[in-house]
Amino acid sequence: MISNIIPGLIMILTSFLLPTIPQYFRHPAMLLSVGLSALSLFNGYGTFLEWDVLGLNLILYQSDSLTFPFSIIFHIAAVLVIIFSWHSKNLMEHMATLAYAGSAIGALHAGDFFSLFIWWEATALTSVFIVFAGNTKAARDAAMRYLIIQVSSGVLLLIGACLLLYQTGNHNLTVLDLTTDFGIFIFIAFGIKAAFPFLNGWLQDSYPESSVTGTVALSAFTTKLAIYALARTFPGTDSLIWIGAIMTAFPVFFAVIENDLRRVLSFSLNNQLGFMVVGIGIGTELSLNGTVAHAFVHIIYKALLFMSMGAVLYRAGTTKASELGGLYKYMPFTTIFCIIGAMSISAFPLFSGFVAKSLIMSSLGGMGMVLIYFVLFFASAGVLEHSGIKIPYFAFFAHERKSKVKEAPINMLIAMGIAAFLCIGIGVFPKYLYQILPYTVEYQPYTIDHVISQLQLLVFAIIAFLFLVKFKLYPSEIKSTVLNSDWFYRKMLPGIGKPLFKKIGLLTEFIYENLRFFFRLILNKSHKFSNSSYIKVTTPSFAGTILISILFIMLLIVLL
Amino acid sequence: MKKNDLTSMGKSFTKYILIIGALLILLDFTFHRHEYFSFAEIYGFPAFFGFISFVFIVLLGKWLRKFLMRKEDYYDQ
Repeated sequence: MISNIIPGLIMILTSFLLPTIPQYFRHPAMLLSVGLSALSLFNGYGTFLEWDVLGLNLILYQSDSLTFPFSIIFHIAAVLVIIFSWHSKNLMEHMATLAYAGSAIGALHAGDFFSLFIWWEATALTSVFIVFAGNTKAARDAAMRYLIIQVSSGVLLLIGACLLLYQTGNHNLTVLDLTTDFGIFIFIAFGIKAAFPFLNGWLQDSYPESSVTGTVALSAFTTKLAIYALARTFPGTDSLIWIGAIMTAFPVFFAVIENDLRRVLSFSLNNQLGFMVVGIGIGTELSLNGTVAHAFVHIIYKALLFMSMGAVLYRAGTTKASELGGLYKYMPFTTIFCIIGAMSISAFPLFSGFVAKSLIMSSLGGMGMVLIYFVLFFASAGVLEHSGIKIPYFAFFAHERKSKVKEAPINMLIAMGIAAFLCIGIGVFPKYLYQILPYTVEYQPYTIDHVISQLQLLVFAIIAFLFLVKFKLYPSEIKSTVLNSDWFYRKMLPGIGKPLFKKIGLLTEFIYENLRFFFRLILNKSHKFSNSSYIKVTTPSFAGTILISILFIMLLIVLL
Repeated sequence: MKKNDLTSMGKSFTKYILIIGALLILLDFTFHRHEYFSFAEIYGFPAFFGFISFVFIVLLGKWLRKFLMRKEDYYDQ
């Protein structure tokens, strides 16, 4: 029986029941629902649930070697988020988080574009409440922008799906290319959620505004769902290699100067997605394995980093680099966990990032793509800069702290501990990760060449950091806003639109007033009205009257 | 609580990192490091590349502040 229930659906149903469950039992109930949903992992591969509706055959539940690793990691992420938020009593956020995780898991198992669309929008509608739960004015504003962008992505997906059905008569998830119009619509829909260059503004805009626990949930699902969708429909699309390479390199510079450490992590998230997108673009078995492996480990260490910054926000009240520093004395465990996350994302050997990133780098090297290879190598130094050094350095070290703070609550430490354990576990025993990847490829990440090469890169990048700090060349923390691609719709478009609409408004008002005057003139009532005390009539200008008269005469001529 | 805790930590950290860095470069001379691209097999190439990339990223980022940095309440105005 259980094999026919869509994975994740039980989490969504539980989320609706949460208000009826007493506070103490909410978190156990949430964990239980994730556990029940995770039973689907034992079902094996195949199509389990279809539904004929309106003449369409929707595949609601199917699984294969690509959905499997994503499904595992989404369940793990859901567990981490629930443990991390155990102390919280924010019912709305718990409901939204559980339903959001459930929708993302459901989306993985959709077998056609229409079912995918439903889940796609479900993740948008549930996650917006998590941004909303930040409960500041900035969070509420960001939530509205977030919703508009996310829903737009869904609408584009729906247009693409309809065109696909109309033109080919097929709506199942298949490999598409960019020579067709439906392919382009679907590509952009996925691209928005995967935070492609210039489509990325929503990510850095909304994630850092969410609550202590909300950002952890947000970081795991939406973007990796988009990576999954791209891997399913656009493997081997050449343009993805370039898009991905730009994604790895550009956010690096923004992260250097950003002051809010959770926003730095959002830029870093964008850069990590770039590595995965490159892997999809190459489209070989090795590179697709690399993408999946990278998504898998990335969800864990990114959640770990967001959790450590969440703990800092919870205890110190801010994640602004300019106001932090010296926390290592008061939050030693959080410091250690954060450093483990930082070393994982920087891909130090024996940490999880290394065993995943090596797959993508090797497939690039094997294909002889020298330029892209070194862009990604360069971006690896960038990852070390913003996530490996900047995050732990400014939060926990940098300078002595004057006021005391407490260590993170025990539930946060447990969640971070599990994530840190997984980061090191996967790094030391990569074969367990490789076993669940979509393709069976023999790969050995720990060759002496790989290890020495990577260590040289990282150690000398750290030396460069020490050198820059020593000679006071390292940019200091400044309270500021860094412009990003959300500037286009937050400043530029309103900057053009507001004056433009004002002008249009003035013009229509002007025409309206003149018309009114003109008709009154015809009806020979204008005099009476303008003299009356209770109706005000603005006197139109002479030019306006002439203009309207000419228009009217022209209209008469045309009509006659 | 000593006043110079962080300074002394920084100093010893710098010392160890420099030792590790020197060892890594020396290791490069003991065996032939196979890379996908032959020019990357030059002694200490990844070290050099890492150092230069890092400095480049930080300095370019710093320079970009001129164009990208606004006041904290920029979007609220």
